Amino acid sequence: MSLLADGLFSALLLIKSLDPELLSIVGVSLKVSLASTVLAGLLGVPAGFLIALSEFPGKRMTVTVFNTLLAVPTVVIGLLVYTFISRRGLFGPWDLLYTQKAIVVGQVLLILPLVITLTIAAVSRVDHRYRQTALTLGASVLQAAAVVLREVRFGVGAAVIAAFGRVIAEVGVSMMLGGNIKGFTRTMTTAMALEYDKGEFVLAVALGLVLLTISFTLNVFLNLVQGRIRT
Amino acid sequence: MLFELKNLIKTYQDRTVLDIEQLGLAPGKIYGLLGPNGSGKTTLLEILGFLLSPDAGRIFYQNRPVDFSGRLLRRLRQEIVLVQQTPVLFTTTVSKNVEFGLKVRQVPKKSRAKTVDEMLDLVGLRDFASAAAHHLSGGETQRVAIARALACSPRVILLDEPTANVDAEHQAVVENIIREIKSAKGLSIIFTTHNMMQAGRLAEEIVFLFDGRPTAGLYENVFSGVIGFDGDGRGYCLIQGRFRLPVATGQPGPARVLVNPRLIKIKSQGTAEAAGSNLSGLVRQLTWEGEQVRVLVDVGLPLTVLVGFEEYQGRQLSVGRAVAVDCPAEAVEVI
Repeated sequence: MSLLADGLFSALLLIKSLDPELLSIVGVSLKVSLASTVLAGLLGVPAGFLIALSEFPGKRMTVTVFNTLLAVPTVVIGLLVYTFISRRGLFGPWDLLYTQKAIVVGQVLLILPLVITLTIAAVSRVDHRYRQTALTLGASVLQAAAVVLREVRFGVGAAVIAAFGRVIAEVGVSMMLGGNIKGFTRTMTTAMALEYDKGEFVLAVALGLVLLTISFTLNVFLNLVQGRIRT
Repeated sequence: MLFELKNLIKTYQDRTVLDIEQLGLAPGKIYGLLGPNGSGKTTLLEILGFLLSPDAGRIFYQNRPVDFSGRLLRRLRQEIVLVQQTPVLFTTTVSKNVEFGLKVRQVPKKSRAKTVDEMLDLVGLRDFASAAAHHLSGGETQRVAIARALACSPRVILLDEPTANVDAEHQAVVENIIREIKSAKGLSIIFTTHNMMQAGRLAEEIVFLFDGRPTAGLYENVFSGVIGFDGDGRGYCLIQGRFRLPVATGQPGPARVLVNPRLIKIKSQGTAEAAGSNLSGLVRQLTWEGEQVRVLVDVGLPLTVLVGFEEYQGRQLSVGRAVAVDCPAEAVEVI
């Protein structure tokens, strides 16, 4: 019990002192996670929209495949991307391995199915009359899609936030593709794993607290925005 | 012609919901599409609003054939607005809802604000301009939806059961709005209803739809029953286990019959036995329709009878009077 209490106390002191190493790790984590979330959002939201609103043969199978991909472990994604970007891989000459870009690529692949499936779920639930109303009022197909997007903005927002929560907390992709290089690709989760290996709990606990605070803040923000607009 | 439909067919999963050989709708009139639930009214409105394409057949809009796969469809949609039976308002303010059609038409902001105010005045909801649209009641939602449609300055406005989901007070308001927009703006208005009285009050022309087909007859005398034959081989349709209507044709078993209100005779006042007829009941409603009078007789079933104005006067029909009704076999059609 004293280990946890001591760890927590020291971690709080570390956060309060704005320790440069801690700030650097948090900075890298936020940077790669935000980049991968934005990219996955830009790709996944329109893809989810298209799949939800269009009818094509194999639609149910496509949705099933994306649902299945939700369960893929991060290390499998890490391994897959590694085979492409390692020196002997197809994209080896691009020198991506152990860079932040490599982490971003892996994380995008990790959360893309999540963004797509949650967007499909949100768009499928929206009343089809919104689109029909927009069209009958003279909107173009794109403008009608924008109306639907507006109506599902909370669902899509929740999808993007869930995706961000997934990448900021993942360790497999960051470790395998980033290499945990101090000051460059060391993220909160890889640093926590390293500190645990070293038996140093203070930094690990401090990073854990920061991670929880970020997730909590994001969810509070989302709830506040939803509450304000709905009432 | 505003619309001309030829050999139009629409099916949903092997069920034909619309089968219209020929239908013409003239511009500048109020049309009522009258029919029971499931008769294809909403589907027809969605096709007329170019929101749904038919599976077969052709539609002519202002004497030009409509290509449902074409790029011009959006331009056509901008002339026709459909107000759904249960309209959805976008989750924003009332004024932004009304403004939507103007915005997509790239109308300048100043003109937009003026039109929004005018339209909200027209439907009596100016005070609600900045209210959240999803907080409105059903009747207010319907009125905002009409204002939103009118703001687009359409040539044609399609109203799907405009008063089906509103209370009696709002029903009268909505009906007045429809009359007002017809007289003030001269629009072509096509509305659906299953309410005969409403169609009679509002429409200049009524199109009866039954099982997806325009019918010349009136749909209100449609009953479900069982066809059987008596000892003399005379066919009858037993409705609700109590009412026997004679039928000239038909197979034994469950059936639907349509009783032509023009062929039913109100024989006299009094009971059926006294008059030698097969039904009797009380007059519940009388509606003047030009040369004829629509008489609603409650014989245990609501039976509509059409009589000439002279006959109406001669028989001194009034609401509450007991009458004997003769419903001959030639008036009953198995459908």
